[in-house]
Amino acid sequence: MRDGKPQIMIVDDDSEIRRLLAAFLSREGFGVRDAADAAQMDAILARTQPDLIVLDLMLPGEDGLSICRRLRAPGGPAILMLTAKSDEIDRVVGLELGADDYLAKPFAPRELLARIRAVLRRVAERPAWPPARRYVFDAFIVDLDARQITCKTGQMPALTTGEFDLLACFVERPRRVLSRDQILDRLRGRGAEPFDRSADMLVSRLRRKLKSANPSVELIRTVRNNGYLFTATVETLA
Amino acid sequence: MIARLSLSRRVGLIVIIAFIAGWLAVIAGGFFTIGPRLLPSPARLEAMADLIERMPAQERAAVAAVLVAPFLTLEVAPGPFAPAPWPQLRPADERVLAGYRQALSHRALAVVPLTRNRFISVLNAVEFRLGLASGEILIVTSTSPVFVAPFGVPAGLAAGLVGILIALVTLIMLHREFRPLSRLAAMVDRIEPSGEMVALAPLRARSPELRSLIAAFERLQGRIATLLRARMALVGGIQHDLRTFATRLRLRIDGIADAQTRARAVSDIEQMIALLDDALLASRAGVRALDEELVDLAALLAAEVSDRLASGAPVRLHVDPGDATVLGDRLALRRIFANLVENALEYGQRAEIVLRPGRADVAVAIDDAGPGIPHDRREILLEPFTRLETSRARKTGGAGLGLAVVNTLVAAHDGRVEIGNAPSGGARVRVLLPRFLA
Repeated sequence: MRDGKPQIMIVDDDSEIRRLLAAFLSREGFGVRDAADAAQMDAILARTQPDLIVLDLMLPGEDGLSICRRLRAPGGPAILMLTAKSDEIDRVVGLELGADDYLAKPFAPRELLARIRAVLRRVAERPAWPPARRYVFDAFIVDLDARQITCKTGQMPALTTGEFDLLACFVERPRRVLSRDQILDRLRGRGAEPFDRSADMLVSRLRRKLKSANPSVELIRTVRNNGYLFTATVETLA
Repeated sequence: MIARLSLSRRVGLIVIIAFIAGWLAVIAGGFFTIGPRLLPSPARLEAMADLIERMPAQERAAVAAVLVAPFLTLEVAPGPFAPAPWPQLRPADERVLAGYRQALSHRALAVVPLTRNRFISVLNAVEFRLGLASGEILIVTSTSPVFVAPFGVPAGLAAGLVGILIALVTLIMLHREFRPLSRLAAMVDRIEPSGEMVALAPLRARSPELRSLIAAFERLQGRIATLLRARMALVGGIQHDLRTFATRLRLRIDGIADAQTRARAVSDIEQMIALLDDALLASRAGVRALDEELVDLAALLAAEVSDRLASGAPVRLHVDPGDATVLGDRLALRRIFANLVENALEYGQRAEIVLRPGRADVAVAIDDAGPGIPHDRREILLEPFTRLETSRARKTGGAGLGLAVVNTLVAAHDGRVEIGNAPSGGARVRVLLPRFLA
């Protein structure tokens, strides 16, 4: 926060929105820069480091999701994602790209201001290390970072890499229907075989192993032939 | 080869075979009802000869005329009896004729076959010549109404049996050929516009018609998917641009000095976006492109009610005990109840919400304190752009999309909407959603 003012960068392809937002945020006491696309943003980032980037999801060229992935690093700028598609908020949140907050267009300027201040405050208090990803569901405890799973009721068989990735995918998105495509999208990044059936096979193997440790419940349900539903309630373990 | 025949030819074949089988059944039926053949019995022949013998010579022709029967003619020919050689017969026929030879052993007897057809029995047409005491010859000609094969069964029976066998084989093949058709129907039923493509290729069919039908469904599926992608892209594009303009407008509004004008402009934009959201949700619901997750309706309604209470609206929620989890789109479900509560407050001053988890369904009833909804208007209210208040003046707000959207969204969740009146006299809208059975 050079010269005491928090620095904010607006990345949006609509020049009117950039101009109006910049004027508004300047009035509220922020130092503001703006960029129309990823290339302009990178040029500015090479010279100076903002505290927060207000990033539009849909941009020409490299889109907001990709930028968000790229900039997500400890000590990097906080990111507040804007989206002009209401149904995308859900998707974006689900991707857990590490944006610090999300807002749908159109928004009340006061709302944006409140979110920006909250994010800046949170970032300042952010611990150096992200919290451990340890979860409890049903009779199981899973540690996604240590890649370990234990069961209170029985011996949990060892999971293969693919099975554990699938379990992580379910645990991070419990109680919602995931299509085969969504599951494969998630696993493919980690080198899963590119066959549609492989998701089904992986699910049935994981299901069998979970069942062997705790036969009393059906944790993974097949829903109307188009996806899978992890029915357990997942709680974060402190 | 039958397996390569087209469906129409196969059906034709089946019809022909069915006719053959029917014809065969009639023949066999007649044959076994009437008896194997109509040869006069040896005793009858003997009685005929005996009777004619005892008649005076001038009466014999008359008596012979009386004895004539269907398939049986008699004639008294002048003698003398010329013995004919015994015909060469197959064993079955020989056995029959042996009986005659034995019974008529005291008379001169000759048997003359009248047919030379090798495929039917000689007994189908045969002439008996019996010597009479007067020296004359009694010639009895017997013909059979049914052709009898040399083996003593009706002619054509074997051909018929073979035909029926072929018919059965053809039927089995037809069934094998039609089986992919019913499996195709089941697979086509699984096609959802927004779902994954259903792979129809594994259906192997041999007849060209079925193959082209499957290919046509593949293409249709592809076209639906393309159409839907185009539509979703259009809707997405429109929503993106509208929201961009709305964002600019919303930012500009802060420059308006008059607080009242500013508040109205903000509310206009909010209503516009709410309408856009409704239309978007409804269009996604129409093609079943909604997300699905486990949603606790009790928590969802509690959140809705607490939002309303925060803005001072007269809303009350009563939740019956029980599990109210449904599988659905959180946004859509929130929209359903937001619209219904909004309606209740708009037209009925207050909203009384009762959540009742049943065995198969979760029922949510929303009552208001308005004038209620007349019987004849209840169904039509679920249609888009219909308002009970027909002036279309926007004073009370609403484009008439609210209930239509609710109806579309509820239907997309396999639920239903019932419009009725509350005991208190106001309107009651009941939403029934299938409960998720854990």
